[in-house]
Amino acid sequence: MAKEERINTCPETPSGRGAATAGSMLWLSVLSLIAFFLFWYVIVQFGFISRTLLASPEDVIRTFWFKLSHRAPDGATLGQNFKASLLLALTGYISAVVIGVPLGLLMGWYKKLDEMVRPLFELIRPIPPIAWIPLAILWFGIGLAAKAYIIWLSAFVPSVINSYFGIKLTDPVLINCVRTFGAGKWESFLKVGVPAALPMVFTGLRLSLSSAWMTLVAAELLASTEGLGYMIQMGRTLARPDIIIVGMLTIGFTGAAMAFGLEKLESKITPWRKQ
Amino acid sequence: MSAIAPPSFIRQFQIIPLVSVAAVGIAWQLLALSGYFGMALPSPVDVIRQFLQMIQEPISGVSLLGHIWASMFRVLSAFFIAVIIGIPLGLFMGWNKKVEAIVKPIFEIFRPIPPIAWIPLAILWFGIDEAPKIYICFIGAFVPVVMNAYTGIRFTDPLLLDAARMLGASKKQQFLEVAVPAALPAVFAGLQNGISLSWMCVLAAEMVGATKGVGYLILAGMNMDNPSMIICGMLIIGAVGAAIAAGLRLAERKILPWKREIAQ
Repeated sequence: MAKEERINTCPETPSGRGAATAGSMLWLSVLSLIAFFLFWYVIVQFGFISRTLLASPEDVIRTFWFKLSHRAPDGATLGQNFKASLLLALTGYISAVVIGVPLGLLMGWYKKLDEMVRPLFELIRPIPPIAWIPLAILWFGIGLAAKAYIIWLSAFVPSVINSYFGIKLTDPVLINCVRTFGAGKWESFLKVGVPAALPMVFTGLRLSLSSAWMTLVAAELLASTEGLGYMIQMGRTLARPDIIIVGMLTIGFTGAAMAFGLEKLESKITPWRKQ
Repeated sequence: MSAIAPPSFIRQFQIIPLVSVAAVGIAWQLLALSGYFGMALPSPVDVIRQFLQMIQEPISGVSLLGHIWASMFRVLSAFFIAVIIGIPLGLFMGWNKKVEAIVKPIFEIFRPIPPIAWIPLAILWFGIDEAPKIYICFIGAFVPVVMNAYTGIRFTDPLLLDAARMLGASKKQQFLEVAVPAALPAVFAGLQNGISLSWMCVLAAEMVGATKGVGYLILAGMNMDNPSMIICGMLIIGAVGAAIAAGLRLAERKILPWKREIAQ
């Protein structure tokens, strides 16, 4: 019994003593969080750190409620900023995925296409999407188009790369097997290559999403009049750390929620993949 | 487990890639010459001319190499700090349940916040000197470094640990001589992700406020309405980023000769 339990918990930590300590570990986590927030509260409340530099957790919560219904000081409520950012990020992300994934899959499958597109891709790939911001602003102005273009680019690269490698790593035995059974090139692509690549495709989708979300913040910091990035930038200009922290937490939480949604979708679509 | 191979279309000389790059280059040149996009699209020749000029003349009082070094210095010092703090933290978090229970919840609050979202707060805290930029790059590198060290330790093959224990290894030996070497490939993958994220963050930080560095360079190109300067800057950024990644891969091959590829 003890042996079995140890095998189960071993990959997590060899020093664990199984379920007996799980409860105390939870307590430790709760205590650590309480200590963290208390520390944060105390250093601000008792003036160890100036309020113009850091807002206390209490202020952050108050500002959060306030921003839900008030436009001050940056000109839009939290909901409006949130909607603007989310809309922009999803537009760029979805259009990148719709083009990027098929391109990556086809590149990995057809050698001719690979040889044509790959070198161009390798030239563009090392340039971080953020480095495109000045050029995009010069080309498209500081409107929606520039930001959408940069976000599209940031999501496009990881979705292509992962789909490409995903299908390249298809077990050749599987391909040979369906060939033997008379499947054509296109059919074996659709019925073997694509499903085999799906886990990697999803890795790509996850990376694209976090990359798109991060690039969105950068784009909004530099050129925007609305959105969460703009809100935190205004918070800096006005020396309002509470607004910055509300914005940061909203950004972080939204990113985590979207990643979680994608994970759920993945386990729906590829149920054969464990974990 | 054979994973992402190093980007190398140079590995064998092929005709099709060359033709496709040349075709795009020529199309770009013709498009620029047609004048349809006007000033906004410089030709490849313009970009090369701009590059030669940038090598000779300093931009805003700093030479091209000076700008590159300014950015490199920020990234490397941030990366160094992130490695010194992040790897031990990640390793202990993966090894010891107590450390994990204490650190993980706090870490999980900060993890989903993109490093770039720290820029306003960093500027508020540290002004617009070197410190905020190094801080942003540090955050960028820190999260992947910690996460990979953490998962690397956790996925140590339990069989290896059991074997070591059976042969009488102490806790310390199990950690240092079994778990840590087993986690090293994952740690290196984390370093790789960390430094490339850090390189991206330095650009964003420099674009928000700096007087030198490659991020400043492309922003200056935008402000001067000089797209060939921006494109030059972008190509330099890409090249330096690729060189840093290649350097790290080389270091990995030296340090981990038994692991020829990064799995992930």
